[in-house]
Amino acid sequence: MLEIAELSAGYLGEDIIHEVSLAVSEGEAVAVIGSNGAGKTTLFRTVCGLLRASQGTVTFDGRRIAGGRAHDTARRGLAYVPAARHLFPEMTVTENLDLGAYPKRPQPARRALVHDLFPRLAERRRQRAGTLSGGEQQMLAVGRALMSNPRMLLLDEPTTGLAPKLAADAYAALEALRRHGLTVLVAEQQVPLALGFAERGYVLENGRIQLQGTSAELAQDPGVQRAYLGIA
Amino acid sequence: MRRSATVGRAGTSPVRAYAPIVVTGALVALLPLRYGDSRAMMGVVIGGVLFAAYAVGFNVIFGSTGQLFLCTGALAGLGGYASAILSDRHGIPMVLSMVLAALVAAIAGGLLSWIAVSRSLGVIFTGIVTLAFSLSFQNLLLGQRDLTGGETGLVVDAGSDTFLGEQVAPFYVFVGLVMAYLALYRALQRSHVGWAFRALRDDEIAAELAGVDVKRYRVFAGTLGSGMIGLAGALYAHSERFISPSTFSFGEVDVLVIVMLAFGGIGSLLGPVVGAAAFTVLEEWMVSFNEYRLIVYGAVILALFLFFPRGVVPSVQSLAQRLRRRLGRPASPTAAAGERRADAPGPAASPVGPDVVGSEEVRAGGATPPE
Amino acid sequence: MRAVVFDGVVLGLQFGLLGVGLTLVYGLGGVLNLAHGQLAVLGAIVAALRIDAGASTIAAVLTGLAVAGFVGLALDLTLMRPVYRRVGEDRVLLGLLLMLGVAFIIDGVLEWRYPIEALSLRIGGDPVDILGVRMRTGSLLASAIAVGVGVVLVVFLRYATVGKAVRSVIQDEEGAQLCGVSPATVRAFVFALSGVLAALVAVTRSMTSPVNVNAGIDFTILALIVAVVGGLGSVSGAFLAGVLLGIVNTVSAHYIGTYITTIVLLAAAAVTIVARPSGLLGAGRE
Repeated sequence: MLEIAELSAGYLGEDIIHEVSLAVSEGEAVAVIGSNGAGKTTLFRTVCGLLRASQGTVTFDGRRIAGGRAHDTARRGLAYVPAARHLFPEMTVTENLDLGAYPKRPQPARRALVHDLFPRLAERRRQRAGTLSGGEQQMLAVGRALMSNPRMLLLDEPTTGLAPKLAADAYAALEALRRHGLTVLVAEQQVPLALGFAERGYVLENGRIQLQGTSAELAQDPGVQRAYLGIA
Repeated sequence: MRRSATVGRAGTSPVRAYAPIVVTGALVALLPLRYGDSRAMMGVVIGGVLFAAYAVGFNVIFGSTGQLFLCTGALAGLGGYASAILSDRHGIPMVLSMVLAALVAAIAGGLLSWIAVSRSLGVIFTGIVTLAFSLSFQNLLLGQRDLTGGETGLVVDAGSDTFLGEQVAPFYVFVGLVMAYLALYRALQRSHVGWAFRALRDDEIAAELAGVDVKRYRVFAGTLGSGMIGLAGALYAHSERFISPSTFSFGEVDVLVIVMLAFGGIGSLLGPVVGAAAFTVLEEWMVSFNEYRLIVYGAVILALFLFFPRGVVPSVQSLAQRLRRRLGRPASPTAAAGERRADAPGPAASPVGPDVVGSEEVRAGGATPPE
Repeated sequence: MRAVVFDGVVLGLQFGLLGVGLTLVYGLGGVLNLAHGQLAVLGAIVAALRIDAGASTIAAVLTGLAVAGFVGLALDLTLMRPVYRRVGEDRVLLGLLLMLGVAFIIDGVLEWRYPIEALSLRIGGDPVDILGVRMRTGSLLASAIAVGVGVVLVVFLRYATVGKAVRSVIQDEEGAQLCGVSPATVRAFVFALSGVLAALVAVTRSMTSPVNVNAGIDFTILALIVAVVGGLGSVSGAFLAGVLLGIVNTVSAHYIGTYITTIVLLAAAAVTIVARPSGLLGAGRE
């Protein structure tokens, strides 16, 4: 469904990710793990079209994604939940959610789904997004992405700022969505959570893919254990 | 590739550094040979040199530290009117009046700078605040008839009996002024002040971390540049012997100065002179096409900022160097450095900022200040 | 005194409408449209020319509005492309300077071809008594139009899907893209709309006093002051600021003098920037 080939991209002429190749098939759950500064956000922003690649290609559903046309990508069914969330602070929770469905009308069924997954959002329907807590904003960002009924979800560190219980809840919600056929690519610093959720994973370090394999393989890898799992 | 802040040009000899200024001055000084007979033409020529002076001052403010001051005319007007009023109404000797007037302008500009930096106003807000100042000053001049003569203007008596009242002599005074300004600009470039300017223009945060007090340098540039503009305005008041609000309006001064500097190269040493020369010629040529004047200027502004963001002169310079390279001629050191400057900036090059402030001889180096 | 205040409100409502277009365009993309006033005058002069040619007032006005809107659209689709490709202060500076050039060109063309043309719409009817103040039908109609359009705008932005899309780009451009909103399309639409609104104000102004070819600069400066004081990017802010400044304008002009009045208005903008840069209401708030 998503194919990334030899992708390099960065800012101000300097590449942050170099020749990254990655693939996600329909229905899969794949994780990209790496520490701060490894390039996860740059990678995701290039994939969804917010950033122009300096080299390489991104193909979604057989169609190339060009840089600078992020709204096209969103309309084609690839929804990105950025680490910085990018919510609309002066609009209410409901208005934010409804915009997620743009340009189509928000479906009551989708809204109900989001409210089921995140009851807190349902409670705070009329509240301005800018006044929500960090965790609630995170939930809203995910909910907004879901409103367009996407075929694939890109999540950039979805558990930042979430208490452990909420983080676990979030992944449980993602599990539920997966059973409905949603394909997920998630970038995470919290490696145990990521490997617990995903089937496969890639390790991104200094802008390059250093390792890839099934979650089990990655969890066994001594390098991964040392760097990300705190096991000497 | 990110440009590194450049090292000062401590290595270049003063002779090489200041030679261009002397040469330019000498060339310009020849003009009266051709035009000295005509009062009208000398007026035009003096106007051109005056605007070169304005442009150098504006270069100090905008070219060096990126502050968009849309009040050059008002600062010149402050200088002009203050000097006229001090000398005519209060009997203060002309030279002292001019100095005081320049101080007034300097303080006004410094204040504007200070407001802009302490409130962290970006380009737009700085522009709007200075524009508001400019328009307010214009209205003040028009409204306070008793003090300023209002719309009809002010006749300036002080100095009319000195050599300033002659036909050609004031020209040399103005040329001297511009050369002094250019020398000052060059001296700044070569000093730690110039290094600080380049650093803060390049990357404000990095500059702060390197110990540059960005606020202080901005206010300094604003004060100095404004003083330079004010002094030029004061000098003009006494040599022209008549000033009115329209002499110093936004449309008459600011637009021209911006366009001149953009043409000649923002942040370059001789850009103001080149721009002033080019547009004085253009203005003269357009006297017969007065109806098209606005349209031409509009088109010039569009063309300049769309296609020659670094200024026409620097673009032509780098084009010439590229041609020279291709023809296999050995490039001169200045040309090579200019080439590096032309190649160096990445996508971050601003549309209207200098690549590196005022450099004909740039050496990419570490971010260390000269000792 | 009451009459002066009423005049101020009438003027202020139009100030607000004038500032709305400018504030929206800035809120969307950081472009300060220094040719805003010229677009207004362009619309007015086109309408005047049509009336001279024998067209009905309504048809002439609609033509003027359409031309202004069309020019705004053309500007966005052409000149603004390189501007939007840049970010931050680079974009702001380039946009400002390019629009200045456009302002000169429009001004120059109008003053060259139609130097004596002016728009003046006489609205028939006897003066009406509102709360004890006599108001000419021209002033009433102008106010009604300003209020009506303002309300429609606010409702549109607050409740219509496209309106919310516009606000989303103002509040968070990247977030809007992720929701499938195309900022480029929104900007083009709003730029065209701002042209229409500007021309509309020229039309309403012409109901009380003639609008001639050199009114462009004054309109632009007014729009700028109103937009800044109201908060760049806020429609209701522009109207609120407009009314306040309109009252200040008439009161000051009546009791003090025109030059001081202009200084007061300019000072209002400067003080707002220095003391409270987000303006009265701040961006994105409708």
